Amino acid sequence: MIQKVCFAILVFVIFNSHNNLIWYNHFPTKLAQLETMIKIEGLKKRFGEFTAVDGLNFEISRNEIFALLGPNGAGKTTTINMICGLLPPSEGKITFDHLGKDRKSLIGYCPQENIFYPKLTCLEQLIFIGQIYGHSSKSIKNRAIELLGLLGLEDKTRVRACNLSGGMKRRLNICLALIHDPEILILDEPEAGLDPQTRILVRDFIKTFGKEKTIILTTHNMDEADRLADRVAIIDHGKLLLLDTPQNLKRTVGEGDILELVLEQSNEKTMNRFAENIAMLSMNVKINAESVLIKHLNIIEQLPAIKHLAENSGLIISEIKLRENTLEDVFIHLTGRTLRQ
Amino acid sequence: MKIINIITKSLREQMRSFWVLILSLSMGPFFIFVYFLILETSKPQYTVLVANNDKGVMINGQHINQGNHLLAYLKRSKADTITIPFTVDEVTDKITGIERLKNKKADALIVIDNSFSQTIENRKANDSTAAAKVEFIGDLTNTNYLISAIWANELLNEYALQTNPKKRIIDVKETALGISATITGFDMIVPGILIVSLIMLMFTASIAFVSEIENKTIIRLKLSKLTAFEFLGGISTVQLIVGIISVLLTLLTAILLGFHYTGSILIMIIIASLTSLSIISFSLIIAAVTKSTNEVLVVGNFPMFLFMFFTGAAFPLNSETLFTVAGYPINIQGLMTPTHAISALNKTLIMNMDVSSIIPEIVSIIILTVLYFLTGGIIFKQRHLKLT
Repeated sequence: MIQKVCFAILVFVIFNSHNNLIWYNHFPTKLAQLETMIKIEGLKKRFGEFTAVDGLNFEISRNEIFALLGPNGAGKTTTINMICGLLPPSEGKITFDHLGKDRKSLIGYCPQENIFYPKLTCLEQLIFIGQIYGHSSKSIKNRAIELLGLLGLEDKTRVRACNLSGGMKRRLNICLALIHDPEILILDEPEAGLDPQTRILVRDFIKTFGKEKTIILTTHNMDEADRLADRVAIIDHGKLLLLDTPQNLKRTVGEGDILELVLEQSNEKTMNRFAENIAMLSMNVKINAESVLIKHLNIIEQLPAIKHLAENSGLIISEIKLRENTLEDVFIHLTGRTLRQ
Repeated sequence: MKIINIITKSLREQMRSFWVLILSLSMGPFFIFVYFLILETSKPQYTVLVANNDKGVMINGQHINQGNHLLAYLKRSKADTITIPFTVDEVTDKITGIERLKNKKADALIVIDNSFSQTIENRKANDSTAAAKVEFIGDLTNTNYLISAIWANELLNEYALQTNPKKRIIDVKETALGISATITGFDMIVPGILIVSLIMLMFTASIAFVSEIENKTIIRLKLSKLTAFEFLGGISTVQLIVGIISVLLTLLTAILLGFHYTGSILIMIIIASLTSLSIISFSLIIAAVTKSTNEVLVVGNFPMFLFMFFTGAAFPLNSETLFTVAGYPINIQGLMTPTHAISALNKTLIMNMDVSSIIPEIVSIIILTVLYFLTGGIIFKQRHLKLT
């Protein structure tokens, strides 16, 4: 009798633990988005005396598009190599929410350089890579054809990779990273060297893919990071300088938005009066013969006050032009203008 | 069975590297053809000079010159029995003969002493102290001289026996091993060339391994679930197939050009397969210490040179025995598997010896292959396949 009770309890425990596992794997997307997918703590990488990555700490959420922004030699690729497992960290740790998968199946890596088998056709190499991740030939073939279609290579399935154009090779490289259906996609400079059409195609694909999977991308293309990333981490000399959404970064850091007031009518007297008044707002002002350039953080909020000052000074404004603060401004503000290796 | 996926992928790549494959496969047959041209179209010629200084003797009022008789005997014997292409020429004196030797116009000079006839007659008259003097002159480093001198010495002894009524004390009988009595120089060289065709695998195999590093596709393999054994095993299998095809093509070419062999082709294929595996394993060591095809071509030249010229593959080679294991001699070349493979092929294809006689060679090849593979595999994994 006691044995039966113990057995029943054991079955109950196993059943429940199994159910927990299933429930965890199929966590609703919206809730899952709040969960941490990758946690990086005190990550360091030294090559002899040189420290490439110096104490990085951040978390990446599930289904987030996360950009690592930094100049050449900032430590982006080294960080990515450590996340992939290609390099061992000197210090610190990287933990993953494995979602029931082993680490190798979890990550898809698309390196900066196009890496493929030049003598195999697009379809052959996708099937081969899928197979060595343990997928069956039939299922992987369907997925390969689907992926090639999504990235505009449907008519290149039987073309050898060496015969593809540069943009096609880049797209094939992305397909190879995705063929085993990873939860995390790591893209190193995904838009590097692409023509505008291909760039838009790849960008749209990343955006769509990022709704369901976690994406980490490295870039020094500000526009790319601004358009794609949910959050941007700016790193330099291996250190994390700032981490936030592109909007917040632009709002809080950088040289500021530029406001240009094109003048219909002005004279030296009104100009001088306006310069004196605007100096009270601590703004960077450059006065030309027919226009005034004002640079300030979040200048849009100051626009009514500036307009009021201009009118009070006797200036007649014919046109107002505004150039928003860009991520490049933020980047340069943080990393400086010094050339890197 | 990811190893099957690697084999399929490598086979496709190998087939599509058309020119590399064709050149690799044709190397063995090409070597056979070249050796055939060298050995069969330029038959050796041995020229022996004779300077007869013999003054002769007067017997019963008749002048007899044994030197002239010997010279006639040499010329007659050459015509009657010797299949080796000898030429016997008479020269007026020793100085003229030496001059011709120095100018490479002849291989050996026999100088018959002026008392040659007198000494033979004294011997016939039971003077056991009398010994006819004949001088052999030639370049001792020249194999043609050695062959000519051996042949001339043999005929000289025969002539001496004819002039002396006494019977031979020792009657020597010569028995040829296997088909060695009928084989030609070309037949002798074929087992070595079969192994040369496998040594050429060193480059194709190293390049097959290293191309994954050069193309950086090794990164994809490292990140996948592929094990080092599956990766190395898959590529090795394809190279083994290339090796077997290469050796069969080489053998076929040799047979078409008149190669005579005994023994089993199956045993030959087994020896060739084991040797291929050993060469592929050695290639793994080369691939492990290099990163590109160019580096393979530079680094690989050194071991290929050793394997070709210090194992007896390109030409026969002898060496000092370092030690023996169960009666099997091990020398410095024994560290290279082609040495054992050539020995095994000679035993089976030429000497018609059975499988049991090549067990030491087979065991040596297997032990060395395992050592090569482990060394190469460990270094390759540490340098190129390690993943944190």
